[in-house]
Amino acid sequence: MTGTETLKATEPTGSTGADENPVFAVRNLWKVFGPKADRIPGSEHASLPPAELREATGCTAAVRDVSFDVRKGEVFVVMGLSGSGKSTLVRCLTRLIEPTSGTLAIDGEDVLAMDRARLRELRRHRAAMVFQHFGLLPHRSVLDNVAYGLEIQGLSKAERRAKAAELVAKVGLAGLEDRRPSQLSGGQQQRVGLARALAVDPSVLLFDEPFSALDPLIRREMQDEVVRLHREEGRTMVFITHDLSEALRLGTRIALMRDGGIVQLGTPEEIVGSPADDYVREFVRDVPREQVLTVATAMRPALAGESERGPAVRPDATVSEAIEAVSRSGDPVARVMDGGRLVGVVDHACLLDVVAGTTASAAPEASGTPHDAPDAPDGSREVTA
Amino acid sequence: MATAQATPARPVTTGARRGPLAALRDRPATAKLLLLALVAAVVVPLVHGRWGGGIWPEALTADLSAPLGDVTDWIVSNRDSHPLFLYFFGHISNAVVLSVRGVYLVLLGLGWAGVTVFAAAVAWRVAGIRLALTAGVSFLLCGLLGMWVPTMQTLALMVVAVLASVVLGLLLGLAAGLSDRVFRILRPVLDTMQVLPAFAYLLPVVLVFGIGVPGAVLATVVYAAPPMARLTALGLRGADSGVMEAVTSLGATGRQRLLSARLPLARKELLLGLNQTIMMALSMAVIASVIGAGGLGDRVYQALSSVDVGAALAAGIPIVLLAVVLDRTTEAAGRRIGAEPTGPALLRGWRGWSLAAAVTAAVAVAGRAADGQVWPDGLTVAIAGPVNTAKDWMVDHLYTGVPVVGGTADLASHFTSGVLNPLRSGLTGLPWWSVLLIVAALAWTIGTWRTAATAVLAMAAIGVLGVWEPSMDTLSQVLAAVAVTLVIGFGVAVGAARSERLERLLRPVLDVFQTMPQFVYLIPVVALFGVGRAPAAAAAVVYALPAVIRITTQGLRGVDPAAMECARSLGATPGQQLRQVQIPLARPSLLLAVNQAVVLVLAVVIIGGLVGSGALGYEVVLGLAQGDLATGLVAGAAIVCLGLMLDRVTQPTTRRQRQES
Repeated sequence: MTGTETLKATEPTGSTGADENPVFAVRNLWKVFGPKADRIPGSEHASLPPAELREATGCTAAVRDVSFDVRKGEVFVVMGLSGSGKSTLVRCLTRLIEPTSGTLAIDGEDVLAMDRARLRELRRHRAAMVFQHFGLLPHRSVLDNVAYGLEIQGLSKAERRAKAAELVAKVGLAGLEDRRPSQLSGGQQQRVGLARALAVDPSVLLFDEPFSALDPLIRREMQDEVVRLHREEGRTMVFITHDLSEALRLGTRIALMRDGGIVQLGTPEEIVGSPADDYVREFVRDVPREQVLTVATAMRPALAGESERGPAVRPDATVSEAIEAVSRSGDPVARVMDGGRLVGVVDHACLLDVVAGTTASAAPEASGTPHDAPDAPDGSREVTA
Repeated sequence: MATAQATPARPVTTGARRGPLAALRDRPATAKLLLLALVAAVVVPLVHGRWGGGIWPEALTADLSAPLGDVTDWIVSNRDSHPLFLYFFGHISNAVVLSVRGVYLVLLGLGWAGVTVFAAAVAWRVAGIRLALTAGVSFLLCGLLGMWVPTMQTLALMVVAVLASVVLGLLLGLAAGLSDRVFRILRPVLDTMQVLPAFAYLLPVVLVFGIGVPGAVLATVVYAAPPMARLTALGLRGADSGVMEAVTSLGATGRQRLLSARLPLARKELLLGLNQTIMMALSMAVIASVIGAGGLGDRVYQALSSVDVGAALAAGIPIVLLAVVLDRTTEAAGRRIGAEPTGPALLRGWRGWSLAAAVTAAVAVAGRAADGQVWPDGLTVAIAGPVNTAKDWMVDHLYTGVPVVGGTADLASHFTSGVLNPLRSGLTGLPWWSVLLIVAALAWTIGTWRTAATAVLAMAAIGVLGVWEPSMDTLSQVLAAVAVTLVIGFGVAVGAARSERLERLLRPVLDVFQTMPQFVYLIPVVALFGVGRAPAAAAAVVYALPAVIRITTQGLRGVDPAAMECARSLGATPGQQLRQVQIPLARPSLLLAVNQAVVLVLAVVIIGGLVGSGALGYEVVLGLAQGDLATGLVAGAAIVCLGLMLDRVTQPTTRRQRQES
């Protein structure tokens, strides 16, 4: 499928060292609901569109033949409209929903082969989840909710309360320890959910549309909170959302899902700059491209004489930053400098093409020398050759 | 894209098949009736030719009195020797007697002061200071009315019965809450048990345990455990799936999930179950006086059988007080749960409880020192005399000859001769097969073919049991009372739905009326109307009204405000809003109200056998009084069938949540 192709295309040239130890390695994962679901993957029905599949077999393929790696330290966003299978996918990762077929490994260990005790171990220590509707226990105080994960691990009361108090403060709820969830606002409740997940110190955090139920302003605030946490701790995150702007804001890489399959997997820039098909193109049509695309995709080789003048911008600066630099300096072009080396220039035409969307999908090919994107937690921009 | 293409395809196919059959599909009720008429046209002439019309034919009855008589004889003669009784029922019976006796002795040992303070202290801890006062005053009133000892007897029986019901209900509820299969089996049983009149439970218990305290306690347990089981199961199953998923995602084990999440999440339902169990246990503990429960119910029963309204009232008031205190206390406990702890920190948690225990102990010791075990005789107020004087005055002045309205006795006799008698002769005059047909038609139009089949079979069983006539008598009383209930109930509810003020006025009245045990309603109607069928019907109406008014008002008020706003913005008059928006949208609630009315009315009409309403209820009482268990058992079975039939006939297709309070 497109998803795997994109994946394979990015792997060889992706950021160095990222693929040595993927946190999650998912291959050909299927989740089919319905009678005799296990017969669907690999059968002649497997490639039918959803409506025809239901007609023929009575089954619904929520996740179909999905493969991807979640790399250490990245924010892996799974995006899609409701019913695209993204929530099912994230639940398959810790087997809250049992996958129908495929392979799934966490830190190289086969998740599907785990027995119940081992699986509990995985859920207790390695992957914690934050839910759309919070899932807080209404009869417990904020502190006891945050401590709940530690409680079921068998920690003593004093220990778990000390740890929980620390995390309550970390998510900005200090002073509200004794409240009940029902006395908190939606944003505060989700902070409790976040603190509960963080309390067990998991190696990967799973978010299932955590901010969809919140007001836009609170949502923005919570997104900032996640960006901050990610910058501070560098924890691996898998983030499910149906909100494109949220995906573009948070995602190191984005997997765009439709009807259970991954339509495209790539950096925000790749998704916006070179949509894999019409569906993705339609999806990203209203995105302000100049805020997502970098000058590296918009630049052209420098002509003679252009290497001397104009403001310098980094290759991973966004086009809108370059526009600002150009219009401030009054020079016709801006130089794209990568560590003191000139890699190209952007002029008015290049920049306007991005804003107008006329560069289309040719953009990646236009980029010059490949460079090593730093594997930084926040917004590492990588460019494929 | 694919889904977008699939949708327009569908209307086209249905459009092509449009015709008379499709029209019938759109009106399933008409289709069902047509089919039924077709079946009837074939079957009725055959049946009529073979067995004739009129009441249920002799040829189709099975006389069960002989075999049942044998069974009862066998049980009576083997009760003291057969191992089944010696080693199973005997132990149960002994355990019940011992525990009731133990609780009773403890209550007596605490003395009246101790018990009163204990009740107040418990109410204070779980429900606050106002209910503590209510509890204290109520217990003192019981003593003041000279009813201390019967109150303690009833309380002792209640304590044992409620504990047993709660344990049994919790176990069943846990099983049904955690296992789908158990739930599927148990749910219809529990649902059905809740619609059966209390009287139906008495006879089988008497058959095994004889008349006395063990039978009374067990009948109470059987009657009171189902709500606990139902609500436990529903609470456990209704746990927020998001929370349960979150708990699982953190790696909780099965036991941790149950103890730290599922059970606490269901605590509201559990407390509601406890509340309902207590109220039903009280209701039954009072009725069980008929099979030797003793206590308050017995006093009422004895007084009613000699039409001594004063004595009945003196025993009835403590019952109402107990009901109100128990209901409000458990309800307030349910409301408080999950709220922030309040009050001074010194009195929270175990400190408050130990203070309550200490005060109770101190008062009990002080009471004993002052030799105050039993309520002092000098401190009672005999209300029986004055009440009877008042009642005699009523008999003289209100029974007949009141200008314009006529007297209450006149009213009752008019109701009997003008409504009940024609209805009864109409029902017995109907060919038996037409009754079955009507039942089938009613049940099938608003329900499914399953409910219709159950209803028809239940009705036929009544005929087979050979109690067609008394059943038709009971049915006529039920129908008349239900009609009156619905007319008054819907009228009041429409008013209450429109006027906030009326609803506020009604609410406390309905609250009190809904907590009172069925038995108590017989006292005022006997005072007002004497004995007979009309007073029983009146008691049934009064008993069923609160539930009907409440459900209907809630239904009318619960109508989508957007729909109402839309109707108003189009300029609909209040009448149009009611007819065209509120009533159609509140249809499920209205059907539920009818269902509840039927079930509640039947329960009281049966108990009416105690005040001369005759029919099935009287046969049960007669069977008990004369030790003729066979007659009583047949009547009891007929009551079960009648209850089943009436419930199924009024049951909307989609099984809904029964009204929970």
